[in-house]
Amino acid sequence: MTNYNELQECIIKGNRIKARELTQECLDNGNPAKEILDEGLIPGMAVVGKKFQDGEYFIPEMLVSARALNIGLGILKPLLEASDVKPVAKVLVGTVKGDIHDIGKNLVAIMLRGSGFEIIDAGVDVSPEKFVQMAKESGADILGLSALLTTTMTAMKDTVDAFQADGSRDKIKIMIGGAPVTTDYAEKIGADGYAPNAAIAVEMAKTLVGGSR
Amino acid sequence: MPQTSRELVRNCLKFDSPERIPRDLWLLPWATQHFPEEVKQLEARFPSDITKPVAVYSRSALVEGDPYKAGQYIDEWGCVFTNLQDGCIGEVRNPIINDLADWQQVKPPYEILPDIKELAREKVNRFCHETDLFVLSSCCPRPWERYQFLRGVENAMVDVLEPENGFLDLLKRIHEFYLTEIEFWVSTDVDAIMFMDDWGSQSNLLISPHYWREFFKPLYRDYCNLTHSHNKFAFMHSDGQISSIYADLVEVGVDAINSQLFCMNMKDLAKQAKGKITFWGEIDRQHILPSPDPQAGRDAVREVAEHLYNPAGGIIAQFELGLGANPATANAIFEEWEKIH
Repeated sequence: MTNYNELQECIIKGNRIKARELTQECLDNGNPAKEILDEGLIPGMAVVGKKFQDGEYFIPEMLVSARALNIGLGILKPLLEASDVKPVAKVLVGTVKGDIHDIGKNLVAIMLRGSGFEIIDAGVDVSPEKFVQMAKESGADILGLSALLTTTMTAMKDTVDAFQADGSRDKIKIMIGGAPVTTDYAEKIGADGYAPNAAIAVEMAKTLVGGSR
Repeated sequence: MPQTSRELVRNCLKFDSPERIPRDLWLLPWATQHFPEEVKQLEARFPSDITKPVAVYSRSALVEGDPYKAGQYIDEWGCVFTNLQDGCIGEVRNPIINDLADWQQVKPPYEILPDIKELAREKVNRFCHETDLFVLSSCCPRPWERYQFLRGVENAMVDVLEPENGFLDLLKRIHEFYLTEIEFWVSTDVDAIMFMDDWGSQSNLLISPHYWREFFKPLYRDYCNLTHSHNKFAFMHSDGQISSIYADLVEVGVDAINSQLFCMNMKDLAKQAKGKITFWGEIDRQHILPSPDPQAGRDAVREVAEHLYNPAGGIIAQFELGLGANPATANAIFEEWEKIH
């Protein structure tokens, strides 16, 4: 049985070169891609999330870990797809219309991807209609909305309303985040939750998916 | 005779019992565009005690557009900002240094600094002598933000962990320009030199305090030392949760810090810095200033005063009237500060 501690450590330390080598080595040894993902990459990123949450890691450390993770995922992805392995859930993320700030959204995407979610990134300045369209096309289970400005957070409500008007609101869970956003605001606009940081966004996404299935 | 604004601010900074808490209102064009009359009334009723001098820099040939207009703006370093809203500044979406190996392509805009320093100095000094207000420099060194504008936010963050690959060289190039800029301003009669960098997210420092102390703290120490060697005050702005570096800012000699007090534990800040640094605002612009209820502004002032007010000084009643702010709440904030003594 393979000991995945070393691979986990590569993700935690953000060692891209070693992450590539060990992921490939695990495959060459006949380990299933799903096992490498579940026992190596995801637990490594979970430690990164915990360290970030505890204030031991900061944005740079999270970014280098994400780069190592992405290298491992890149190697595994075709094999996972070929064996029809499903992600935890599909999450559509984006920054709302009128806003082009994306570091918060990107950090959430990193942590979700590192926790086994499939990410569809809609980018920045995304209109409510575009979110509705992309959610339908991708079959997303969760929508993650980001806004940095007090003047653009209102587009979150417009987006929730757009899903209502489209009749597809009950098919998707919506969580929101960003500097001016609060739990109260999430409740007020009819979102399903508010995550103050990337680590909590993962927990919330798991809860939302668990609750809907 | 009542103290002049300049005396008020100086006494505040020196903990020498100013007659009242000095005021400083920051206005983004968004506010004057949306509430022109209310802004005029607010400024008339609660005039700021702090100002900045007339422009003395040349316009760089690289500059295109208006930083506060929707669309594209190119600044004097060649960084391209995209802005979707009038009245605020935009974001760099495509950094000009994608590969850090190209760091030598960065040309700091020395050409914008005054050609004839004596003339520029005379102009600034005339401004300083003709006003009773406390005068801040019209420069704003920002080594970390400039680095991010040049490299992009995510690249910049990763560069911090791999400093040997050009990070230190580029940072030094930026820092040298800002030192040159400050050298001009300390030769004038302004009262204080201002610099800035947003160091916090909502809940923590953007980078580890360890790296901050290793790479950035020395830069601010240089700015403070140069400023103090000319008997001027050092003013710094930094957004976000920065409580882990507050003591460092006191140590390097920052005299006044403009920070998002409401992202932090004010009781903790008081322990670290009350009586050692001046809290140059602010009142929360994310939740309080947009509030339609003026009482929210009054309560916020009381909260700051409860933890940080010292009759000897150390508080400047500052806030930013920017995106989404409510003028009635802004009025209430200044009204409440008048009651604190």
